[in-house]
Amino acid sequence: MRCRFNSIIWLTAALLIVQAMSGCVSLQFGKIQEGVDVLPPPEEFLRKKTSLQEVLSNYGAPTDLVDMNGDFALHFRRALYRGMNVSIGIPLKNALLPSPSVGTDGNLLRYDTVVFIFTADGVLKDMKYEKGTGRSLWEDYW
Amino acid sequence: MKRVCSVISIMLVAYVCMGCAVFGRGKDFTPFDENSLNQVTTGTTSAGEVTRLFGPPNKVVKLSNGNAYVYERSIEKATGLWLVVLSFGNWDKQYDRIVFFINNDDVVTHFGSSFNAETASYAMPF
Repeated sequence: MRCRFNSIIWLTAALLIVQAMSGCVSLQFGKIQEGVDVLPPPEEFLRKKTSLQEVLSNYGAPTDLVDMNGDFALHFRRALYRGMNVSIGIPLKNALLPSPSVGTDGNLLRYDTVVFIFTADGVLKDMKYEKGTGRSLWEDYW
Repeated sequence: MKRVCSVISIMLVAYVCMGCAVFGRGKDFTPFDENSLNQVTTGTTSAGEVTRLFGPPNKVVKLSNGNAYVYERSIEKATGLWLVVLSFGNWDKQYDRIVFFINNDDVVTHFGSSFNAETASYAMPF
């Protein structure tokens, strides 16, 4: 029983230290996702052959629809944001101002995007795909 | 001594569980019924029938050979968890969308739809 009591005392002390540090160190992680996965265009999609209806059947309704002075573009997009914040400081606000602190944060918003450009009569003129979320998080950030 | 241990144990459990969690849900609602798409036929259905079935569109895009009516609604779900020195936040937003392409004779030539709003989920950011 004595041993168990000592363990609890030590654990309490450790938690009190963490509590005391809670104003000093903080880590925050965030993620924002908007839209579903955007797949690359299938191989059967060909310029000057594929119709508007084929693209709509494969991809559904677009995120954006833009008139391009005769032609028009369908834009399918998924946005993915990741953020992280680390801050280290000494909370002396009650005793001394200013309180010394160091903080850093990183935020990266990336997009998976495919755009289809059609002629006025609904024939695929051009397309472009990019999977932003498949790239290296670290390299993209720096 | 046993009672002291019990009290301290309960306090420790309470401490470890200390923190905050929040769950949020937002809805950008437009009352269209996806089953009404069964009543739309390309080459036949008129722009008037589209608005009768789905109501006024959220957006009308002018195209060189007609218009596009865009219907959109969304659901967003947010999750937040604050622990002693760690905090996590996640926000997921998904959409239901329908787009109708309408020619200069006010007839639907094409339409496309995506219904993903219900896939928005509460989650952690990893």
